[in-house]
Amino acid sequence: MSPVLSAVLKFFAALGIMLVNGVVMIYMLRKVLGHLHIRLGPMHVGWKGTMQTLMDVLKLLTKEDVTPRAVDRWLFRIAPAVVFVPSLMAYAALPFSDTWRIVDLDTGLLYTFAVLSFVPIGILMAGWASANKWSLLGGMRAAAQQIAYEVPLLLSVLPVVLVAGTMNLGGIVEAQQGYWLGFIPGWFALNPLMWPTLLVFMIAGLVEINQTPFDMSEGESEIVAGFATEYSAMKFGLLFLSEFSNQFIMSALGVTLFFGGWTLPWIPAEINHAFGPVIFIAKAYIGIAVMMWIRGTFPRVRIDQLMELGWKRLIPVSLVLIMLTGLFVKVVG
Amino acid sequence: MTDPRMDVTGVGLLGEGLHSPGEPPAGIRRAPEGVDGLTTEHLIINMGPQHPSTHGVLRMLVEVDGEEVIAAEASVGYLHRGIEKLAEHRRYDAVGTLMDRGDYVSGIHGELAFALAAEKLMEVEVPRKAHWLRSLTSELNRLGSHLVWYGTFGLDTGAMGQFLYAMREREALLDILEAITGQRMMFNYVRPGGVLADLPVGVDTKIKAFTDTFDTYLEEYDQLLGGNEIFQHRVKGIGVIGREKALAFGLTGANLRAAGVDFDVRKQIPYAAYPELDFEVPLGSTGDAWDRYTVRMGEMRESARMIRQLMEGMPEGDHTAKVPKVIRPSEGEVYASVESSRGETGVHLVSDGTDKPYRMHYHGPSLYALQALEDVLPGHLLADVVMMIGSTDVMLGEIDR
Amino acid sequence: MLPDAQTVRSTLATGGAHDAEVAETTLGLVVRTQISVVIDALAALLAEGYESLVDLDGIDTGSGIELTYRLRSYSAGLEIFVKTTLPYDAEMASVWNLYPAALMPERETAELFGLTLSGHPNPKRLLTTEGVAPLLRKDVPIRTHEEVRRP
Repeated sequence: MSPVLSAVLKFFAALGIMLVNGVVMIYMLRKVLGHLHIRLGPMHVGWKGTMQTLMDVLKLLTKEDVTPRAVDRWLFRIAPAVVFVPSLMAYAALPFSDTWRIVDLDTGLLYTFAVLSFVPIGILMAGWASANKWSLLGGMRAAAQQIAYEVPLLLSVLPVVLVAGTMNLGGIVEAQQGYWLGFIPGWFALNPLMWPTLLVFMIAGLVEINQTPFDMSEGESEIVAGFATEYSAMKFGLLFLSEFSNQFIMSALGVTLFFGGWTLPWIPAEINHAFGPVIFIAKAYIGIAVMMWIRGTFPRVRIDQLMELGWKRLIPVSLVLIMLTGLFVKVVG
Repeated sequence: MTDPRMDVTGVGLLGEGLHSPGEPPAGIRRAPEGVDGLTTEHLIINMGPQHPSTHGVLRMLVEVDGEEVIAAEASVGYLHRGIEKLAEHRRYDAVGTLMDRGDYVSGIHGELAFALAAEKLMEVEVPRKAHWLRSLTSELNRLGSHLVWYGTFGLDTGAMGQFLYAMREREALLDILEAITGQRMMFNYVRPGGVLADLPVGVDTKIKAFTDTFDTYLEEYDQLLGGNEIFQHRVKGIGVIGREKALAFGLTGANLRAAGVDFDVRKQIPYAAYPELDFEVPLGSTGDAWDRYTVRMGEMRESARMIRQLMEGMPEGDHTAKVPKVIRPSEGEVYASVESSRGETGVHLVSDGTDKPYRMHYHGPSLYALQALEDVLPGHLLADVVMMIGSTDVMLGEIDR
Repeated sequence: MLPDAQTVRSTLATGGAHDAEVAETTLGLVVRTQISVVIDALAALLAEGYESLVDLDGIDTGSGIELTYRLRSYSAGLEIFVKTTLPYDAEMASVWNLYPAALMPERETAELFGLTLSGHPNPKRLLTTEGVAPLLRKDVPIRTHEEVRRP
């Protein structure tokens, strides 16, 4: 197969995953939040509401795309794309199984984070271009929080890289093979020495994807829809599709880095190979379900408290963790 | 008619008039020269009147420097229906319907305040059972109102789940109130002379089913929101309305008790069945938003206790005194207060001997809380504005009347 | 909750509020003063310990607007009413620097009774829009059903 054709097919595969993920996740979110709130969520459209998302997407496609008069036209139009495209690109390095990857990058981890760091630029563009004070506030908040938390996020995964010895996401999963004491899987999440790292990653990850308790840039009760207030129809659809897509990517990253990726313990390698993608996606969705659980329960942190947490606490902690992990790796080998 | 309110950026903000051409738009104000000689601009942001978080139609104009609030001004009147004027054209037994619509979440308290005022002028002896029924519905309503406060306060800080749990409890309460009064919200139950009707058959089982489970649920809800460290960080030490300020601004109710002033109308100016009930009045110390939270949660516990006592000790008797069809109280002027869920709801009633009040003034405690809010907000962040409106439990119905 | 009338009279006299009548009525203990000395009376009572203004309202008595201030001392557990009468369309002096609680109620009273508010930092209308008549005055009628149906 020519490289061009295979590249195009891979692009459509990534796009397909992103869209299907969006559809499934919206339904899942409404159902999970619904049941957490002792209500049912969508029930009427399709069997138990399964067609609801499809109808919502059709509605978004057919809605009138309102562009307010005072907006900065080109920025307003481009901003959803600047949010959407990096999110799509981040699927490239995710290891769905030991052979199923879009691209097998040796610097997969660095690539994924580098690409995700474009998203706050898009949010800032959306907030500024909207000619709306509320959007401006939302955009500024997003810029502050997401750019600030890039640092702890990257620093928190460095111990994992040190222990695994590679930045290749597939390689990190393979470094988690093996068992301790004969039966505990070698996942980094089950290694008590890695628990602080896991904690920092979870916090920084939630901040990066704008999820409650860190969703100030679109804090519903304060600044209405924040940076997305002036967007309607498909532009809004793009913004929100990329939000769900980021959730999947962050959860998938967490699964890859800490929870053994596509592998399950105590079962033969052939089954792992055959069912790898299924296992990977299932684990990612468990992570997403946890994120939704948190979303339905916790209040929102205030922006200055978040900044304080990031700069004053998480960065020093993650630096210390890198040093300690480095020492440990050197000593124990 | 051009309504200056419609010009949301131009109306005399914070004491100024409409902006003139050549000036920067009224939504932006040049700030004084900054540290390095940089000019910054303050944004004047309009929160409301349609906003997910203002408790009613409140328009809050805040001047912010980045995220920090420099000044705040509340613009009210979107819900003004002329209750005080209308009361001068209603007979005494019909004014209760107007009071219901003041503080519409706790209607019984408003009705009760008016009924007490009218009874002072009527010189009628209200039977003991009516007192107990009034206290029962008062406490049920207080619990419902505090549940709304709890749910919306959490929503204001971003937590969604407990709002629906509070609403679930409130549904049980509204069922009970519907059984007793016939209505879920605009009760029209407390009339001068007594109450509308006695307790129906079967409502005592409903109330017992509610009170049996409510205490455990309340502890869960307290743990869910109050035990959450993020919530505590959002709320502790924020929005301090201390004793001096609370007294200077005429606050009453939970806002005042959070500052440490021990004044509850049910204890100090007793009415209805409260002299015979055993209950505590929770107090705070510093008057921050956390104290207001704990005081109201404590009030919920005490209300549940009182409901149990009221049901156990409910006397027999008439539910109302014999009042004439058309009430003509003697001439005079009285003031009656009740402890409503938001503070001290007062009615200043002037009667000229006819069948309609000459003047009825409805004192809504949220108006004073809103003023204190305007004074306290500068220095806080924008996220705190929303949280503070929720924490002081402002209700536009009784502000605008 | 009823203060001693004699103590109140002496407080008012020392405060400079002359010719204040103190009497006990169905309302409570009521101090009636002239409009010129009402601020002195309130200041004297504030110094005496009535630190909170709980309510402020107006009544159209047919011959003028009667303002009622309800003051409360939480430490002493006492309550007192101060009344003063203004002629129609008069100027109402604000007491906000004694009792900040009066800020919004004064705006409302001035607006609904057609008084001019003076000495107030923000003397705008509170509840109604420009052009609405002073609603609580007795000569401003309430609209009938017919008037509402056919504007």
